[in-house]
Amino acid sequence: MATFDHVLPAEEELTVPEVNLSSASLRAGAFHLGKYCENQNNEFMLCRQELNDPRKCLAEGRAVTSCALEFFRKVKKTCYAEFTQYANCLDKSSGDLHFKHCRNTQGVLDKCMLDNLDIERPEYGYFSRAKIHHTDRPAPAKREKKVYEDATPGLPDDYPRPPAKFGSRLHYMM
Amino acid sequence: MPAPKTQDLPPNGGYQKIKFVRVPAKTLFSGFQIIGAYVGITSFAAYIYYLTYKQIQREEIEMRSCKLALMPMLIAERDREFLKQVRRNRDEESKLMKNVPGWVTGTWYGEPIYKTKPKDYFDEGTWDDLCVHSNYRTSAIRQNFHLWN
Repeated sequence: MATFDHVLPAEEELTVPEVNLSSASLRAGAFHLGKYCENQNNEFMLCRQELNDPRKCLAEGRAVTSCALEFFRKVKKTCYAEFTQYANCLDKSSGDLHFKHCRNTQGVLDKCMLDNLDIERPEYGYFSRAKIHHTDRPAPAKREKKVYEDATPGLPDDYPRPPAKFGSRLHYMM
Repeated sequence: MPAPKTQDLPPNGGYQKIKFVRVPAKTLFSGFQIIGAYVGITSFAAYIYYLTYKQIQREEIEMRSCKLALMPMLIAERDREFLKQVRRNRDEESKLMKNVPGWVTGTWYGEPIYKTKPKDYFDEGTWDDLCVHSNYRTSAIRQNFHLWN
């Protein structure tokens, strides 16, 4: 796999405080987190998709994680009870942490988020939608079209093109 | 003297008449009523189905949305851990193969995986590449984790 020609980032660069939360908590905060860190998330995902290399998007990834940490710290400070209640409901209502069983607790959390953090819950399909993201990072160069020296030369554009002498090969097309 | 045996005879007034007249079932609804009820019930059910279908679609989209919202954070964390593991694997491989003459880490005796790619091209490889220096049990537990959910 990796040879010594590959530049691998140092251990310190890869060690940052991670979001140490359970699935239920992450899912409880997913919509507001996505809205709060939208810019960082889009930046990271764009970088990750354009460059397709985990080594090249580390800075963006750190920004994503620190934003998520900041968000969850804020939630802990303001809406801890509501958040825990909602996460608990998600955890215990179904095996796949489905939202549909927990609309009441969700409403309570949404209200708290709106009042304290001024984050409105995005509508249900918000993160499934394609978005346009403006970034300062230059786009990677496109692959150049290959030019072969010994390619067959084509006809010039103004070469006469008379109509077919015996009509179309497909009889039903006249 | 024993009583004389009575002959087996029809009851007084004779046998009942044989009922051979057809008795049709009671008609509760006419044909048009039944067809009308069928059309009505079916269209009502189709309407309910339509509503339920929409609701299920909404719920699925909502679940997908929340997963997509969390994806960047999880991928960022995964990338960092992945790169740490790649470095560990590389160090482990050089330590393991240091006594083998001609061995170059990450290649087969100096023959790279990709000849036409630039040297710094990084292929993530497969799961087994990542776990090649761990024992099988650990990697299998991690790989089959989703089956236990």
